[in-house]
Amino acid sequence: MNKSGNLITTEDLKIYFPVRRFLRTVGYVKAVDGVSLHISKGETVALVGESGSGKTTFGRALLGLVRPSGGRIVFDGLDITDLEEKDMKRVRRRMGVVFQDPYASLNPVFPIYRIVEEPLVVNRMGTPEERREVVMKALEDVRLTPPEFFASKYPHMLSGGQRQRVAIARAIITNPDLVVADEPVSMLDASIRVEILTLFKEIQQRHNVSFLYITHDMATAKYFSERIAIMYAGKIVELGPTKEVLSDPLHPYTQALIEAIPDPDPTNRFRFRKVTPGQPPSLINPPSGCRFHPRCQYLIQGTCDVVEPMLIRIKGERYVACHLYEKPPMEREGHQ
Amino acid sequence: MDSEAVEPLLKVTDLVLKYSTRAGPVRAVDGISFTVRPGETLALVGESGSGKSSTALAIIRILPRNVAEFSGSVVFNGTELMKLDDEEFRRKVRVGGISMVFQGAMNSLNPVLKVGFQVAESLIVNVGLSKQEAMKKAEEAVELVGLDRTVVQRYPHELSGGMKQRVLIAMALITRPKLVILDEPTSALDVMTQANIMNLLKRLKAEMSLTYVFITHDLALASELADRVGVMYGGKIVELGPSDTVYSNPRHPYTKLLLESVPMLRADRPPTFIPGTPPDLINPPPGCRFHPRCPYFMKGKCDAKVPKEFRTDSDHLAACWLLEERGDE
Ligand SMILES: Nc1ncnc2c1ncn2[C@@H]1O[C@H](COP(=O)(O)OP(=O)(O)OP(=O)(O)O)[C@@H](O)[C@H]1O
Ligand SMILES: Nc1ncnc2c1ncn2[C@@H]1O[C@H](COP(=O)(O)OP(=O)(O)OP(=O)(O)O)[C@@H](O)[C@H]1O
Ligand code: SF4
Ligand code: SF4
Ligand SMILES: [Mg+2]
Ligand SMILES: [Mg+2]
Repeated sequence: MNKSGNLITTEDLKIYFPVRRFLRTVGYVKAVDGVSLHISKGETVALVGESGSGKTTFGRALLGLVRPSGGRIVFDGLDITDLEEKDMKRVRRRMGVVFQDPYASLNPVFPIYRIVEEPLVVNRMGTPEERREVVMKALEDVRLTPPEFFASKYPHMLSGGQRQRVAIARAIITNPDLVVADEPVSMLDASIRVEILTLFKEIQQRHNVSFLYITHDMATAKYFSERIAIMYAGKIVELGPTKEVLSDPLHPYTQALIEAIPDPDPTNRFRFRKVTPGQPPSLINPPSGCRFHPRCQYLIQGTCDVVEPMLIRIKGERYVACHLYEKPPMEREGHQ
Repeated sequence: MDSEAVEPLLKVTDLVLKYSTRAGPVRAVDGISFTVRPGETLALVGESGSGKSSTALAIIRILPRNVAEFSGSVVFNGTELMKLDDEEFRRKVRVGGISMVFQGAMNSLNPVLKVGFQVAESLIVNVGLSKQEAMKKAEEAVELVGLDRTVVQRYPHELSGGMKQRVLIAMALITRPKLVILDEPTSALDVMTQANIMNLLKRLKAEMSLTYVFITHDLALASELADRVGVMYGGKIVELGPSDTVYSNPRHPYTKLLLESVPMLRADRPPTFIPGTPPDLINPPPGCRFHPRCPYFMKGKCDAKVPKEFRTDSDHLAACWLLEERGDE
């Protein structure tokens, strides 16, 4: 494997869940609806969006845990879209996952040692002695030191932050190329979040791991990802280098999200925050045209509610799916 | 506004709440004092387990069975609450006095009861209104929080998270309180819904001239409402002052580090974290409870004596030995 380039790429990925009534399929939840995204080797991409926008489903698809209804997933040059489970297992060895809930994601009856070792056992990697060395090293990596001390503990004996460290140790134990971290810190206290995310960053730099950081928290995404993808109702509406997107958001939805988030500032109490009316739409019958159009203050009648905007490149590495930016390239350049 | 000139609505002095456990008493609230003036919002911020909810529960006297010690003084609207019996407490405090929006209560709405009845319940139980009268008030209350009247006819599972949170606020307001304690009223909500709820709380505060105690672990969110901030650490308030100065010029090292751990969207400053873990409240560190994590730790002093509260401005207090030279007690 070369050191740079794309590790994983999705092309027009679609994941639809059938809605059944009396054993008949009456529709589909279009949880992910045409997402094209790549993650480079050693890169962290933040996937940000409100509850139900399809972030977890997208992450599960990368891990081969849900079958795509359309599109392609290519992992390090190999098309894994329709891989058989036994072949997928080999690929999944190169992937790790950390879930949101550090309480639910660790088996309470196993000691930490066994929890962290498990992926090695499942994948029949190494002798018990070799595995012991790797487990202790991983516990050290996530700063559960001394590792012998933590190895014999059970999950309930650890704090939330320590449990999430165990989950990270387990995720990196097979030395994966990709880690999907699904809301890894949102259940933790604000003060521990930064600590855990800093740990992620260190591990990533040390091992050149690619991360998909799924979160609804723009502020942590800002400091712990290189690129950010904003998801709304199953689609990516804006994509680009994190700092650029957050300091100069182009899509009206991105702008609305940022407007809703306070920074610590005592003058906040004298202001009302501008809030976009309405709710994210149903994914069974999403709005026609742009899915954000029923809530958008810039709505162009006859266009936005009819024609679906494509994710197009605006400048540099910045992409946005919004008719406001769909001008001929010449005009756009001139505009700036 | 001169802090001495206005009679506080709530005055808490040396409040202590300890829980008994097998390992020993948990000093969840360990001698804290603060005041809340009419019409202002005091935010209580601090890490998980610092004693924020316990402080609130002690004030409104909703206590678990395993209380080991409960003492101090809570004066509300001129009345010492610690001296009231349960019946007097119900009359003087639960109706038209102090209401609370409980942490995580969204999930504790009764799934088999219509929303309207749950909003009205307190009027039936504590005020003795007829069911019919109470239901009419419930309709008004849900409308007040921006929901449609017909919501009273629905069941909790039919509502979104944001709507449920509004229902809980309606429930707290229906007894016409003067003081509302809001314990993490927006956690688990999406950012837009959170912003909506915060706007609602701002509007209600102005319209009904409410006084809030707003509990959150999120300093950014606290600044949405707080006129004053109390920072809790290990069962104590370590800093208390106007938000204008606490945010811009924090005096306690913990507050300073806590602020630096907040990732900012509008400024570019990488957040840092506070190494170490919060104190064990059964065996707290001697002296200053923050000393094992404090970069300014002074050996022989910070680990020996509990820091006094020093006044750094007319209305700003911090409990840290670093301030000894500069301020007066
Ligand atoms: N196995 C499934 N069967 C049917 N619908 C599903 C399934 N998994 C997810 N969905 C639906 O797909 C949509 C997207 O869900 P997903 O969990 O991916 O969102 P999310 O962005 O991760 O949300 P959250 O922030 O709440 O975790 C939701 O409407 C959800 O109900
Ligand atoms: N009934 C109880 N028995 C024993 N200990 C308790 C009880 N309730 C709370 N505690 C402990 O008291 C301390 C303070 O808890 P409290 O719930 O007041 O903290 P908090 O600041 O509200 O935390 P959070 O942000 O997590 O809500 C914690 O150490 C907690 O574990
Ligand atoms: S495409 Fe139209 S409706 Fe959609 S975000 Fe852009 S301006 Fe708004
Ligand atoms: S009293 Fe000492 S240990 Fe405590 S915060 Fe102040 S300097 Fe730090
Ligand atoms: Mg999810
Ligand atoms: Mg609490």
